[in-house]
Amino acid sequence: MCDEWAVGAAAAAGPGPHPLLSAMSDGFRKAESGTQLLARLEGRSSLKNLEPCLFADEGFPIHGDVVEFHGPEGTGKTEMLYYLIARCVLPKSGGGLEVEVMFIDTDYHFDMLRLVTILEHRLSQSTEEMIKQCLGRLFLVNCNSSTQLLLTLYSLENKFCAHPSLCIVILDSISAFYWIDRSNGGESFNIQEMNLKRCAEFLEKLVREHHLVLFATTQTIMQKSSNSTESSIPLKLHCEADVEYRPYLCKSWQQMVTHRIFFSKQCNFSSSKAFSIVSCHTKKKHVIKCSFSVAECGVQF
Amino acid sequence: MVILRAGLCPGLTAEMIQLLKANSIATVVDLVSSDLEEVARKCCLSYKALVAVRRVLLAQFSAFPVNGADLYEELKSSTAILSTGSKSLDKLLDSGLYTGEVTELTGAPGSGKTQVCLSIAVSTSHDLKQNVLYVDSTGGFMASRLLQLAQTRTGDEEEQVEALQRIQVARVFDVYKMLDVLQELRCSVSQQVLSSSGPVKVLVVDSVSAVICPLLGGRQAEGLALMMQLARELKTLARELSMAVVVTNHVTRDGSSGHLKPALGRSWSFVPSTRVLLESRESTWGQASTRRIASLTKSPRQPTGIEVELDIGSCGVLEESPAASGEGR
Repeated sequence: MCDEWAVGAAAAAGPGPHPLLSAMSDGFRKAESGTQLLARLEGRSSLKNLEPCLFADEGFPIHGDVVEFHGPEGTGKTEMLYYLIARCVLPKSGGGLEVEVMFIDTDYHFDMLRLVTILEHRLSQSTEEMIKQCLGRLFLVNCNSSTQLLLTLYSLENKFCAHPSLCIVILDSISAFYWIDRSNGGESFNIQEMNLKRCAEFLEKLVREHHLVLFATTQTIMQKSSNSTESSIPLKLHCEADVEYRPYLCKSWQQMVTHRIFFSKQCNFSSSKAFSIVSCHTKKKHVIKCSFSVAECGVQF
Repeated sequence: MVILRAGLCPGLTAEMIQLLKANSIATVVDLVSSDLEEVARKCCLSYKALVAVRRVLLAQFSAFPVNGADLYEELKSSTAILSTGSKSLDKLLDSGLYTGEVTELTGAPGSGKTQVCLSIAVSTSHDLKQNVLYVDSTGGFMASRLLQLAQTRTGDEEEQVEALQRIQVARVFDVYKMLDVLQELRCSVSQQVLSSSGPVKVLVVDSVSAVICPLLGGRQAEGLALMMQLARELKTLARELSMAVVVTNHVTRDGSSGHLKPALGRSWSFVPSTRVLLESRESTWGQASTRRIASLTKSPRQPTGIEVELDIGSCGVLEESPAASGEGR
């Protein structure tokens, strides 16, 4: 209820609605449609065994989790996303979970041919039919601006109701519009962050109401300042590992992330695994470290 | 940020807009994100009409999800791999330039970036018979060099002229002009203004850093925003119009490790999908040589670190012309 007030108030920017009247009409608004009810009760499929290495604490994502992949360029974030997509869309006979995935692409990064190569390697007999069947479980959207991203999220709401097996949303990447938004917003930080803030709030609502798991990548575009207190303190709170992390997206986004996974390249050439990840649970402060390498068939732990 | 105005979509009348404006709902985003029951009550508008308008606006301004299988079908028929004219460079790029992607050539001044670009242009226009748009921002483009390269491909003058006619050149010296040129290209394709041999298949931008570097530095975000807008234009052209985009960039030395890294910073580093570093190799006699080492520093398909040797002599990086042996590509 409070969330709807928050959204309504932000949009109307006028005097708030009378609490009593709202409470009464809330009752009517809350009545779900038949499909929504079914989707909720049937439950979204379990994501156990998605990838234990990635998830500190439980070992698998729980519905409602928001996972952030953070790292500089060339550290394997996109490959990891392909790995997750493959795990999700492959049929149970091929070692997958047979769930549907919604992929929101903000910088034309998604390489379909690469995904198909990975699927072909994972399937024991990869016929055109099987590949098409797997790909049929993947939905792709391209967004050109943060405004279009926000509007697209609104229009995707129906899709989640209609597809109960759609339980994963991947957003690559949520920081793509950062500089353009900052320049468009003029001097006021509020206006600069407004679109992203609304996107984050709506995403949180979607994830919560439809029991989804959200994976989002953010790019490391800021240098970690060497002696600033503002960046080291939040780091100590949720992660003992020494990672290069300087938060720059809006607070609404930072607060809704439940797992933050830092990607980096291995510096010591002795190990055969080229990339490493540090996975932190933001609330419970558990940390898992893992390393992986990337071959033609995708990520290998 | 789209402002609501009469006729934006059917059902959105001027009176409606006035009433909405009086309640601080001025843009499409405001209307879509507000609680329609409340708005209907406060503005005395019909709830049904508002819901209908909201649905139409969302359909108009949001992006549609595409099913993976359909997208794969589409890509299978529209993606092409364009050979660069040099077998070693093709090997580095996993058989050539892929349409739908941005490939970056980085290197110090004199490392051969422009020569590689010119070679790619001639190879595409002569061997593959496709159109090329060459955007030159450094002044390093020379038509005479293009002719020289075309002459190594074929002795027939008519063919040489045809090959050169397929290469359009745009000279730009600031980022606004570059954005103009790219938008014009997009418009001309969408209005289906085709030249004789079809749409542009390769877009070469030599170089991107020459127009962006003057904008960076300082504390304003505008320079970075322009850079990201340019990046977006290039990627949109590559994806939506199925072109192979080649850009060149300078290198700088990394402060801490001393390695060469591409210029334009971290935000730009995410833009190209493939990156090739060109370096000159010291000739054993201590003289300037035409040999270069190209190494793959970023690729979506191949392991990084592959190196090949290129020779940018009189033939650019092109190899012996296959025209004599009658091979097609």
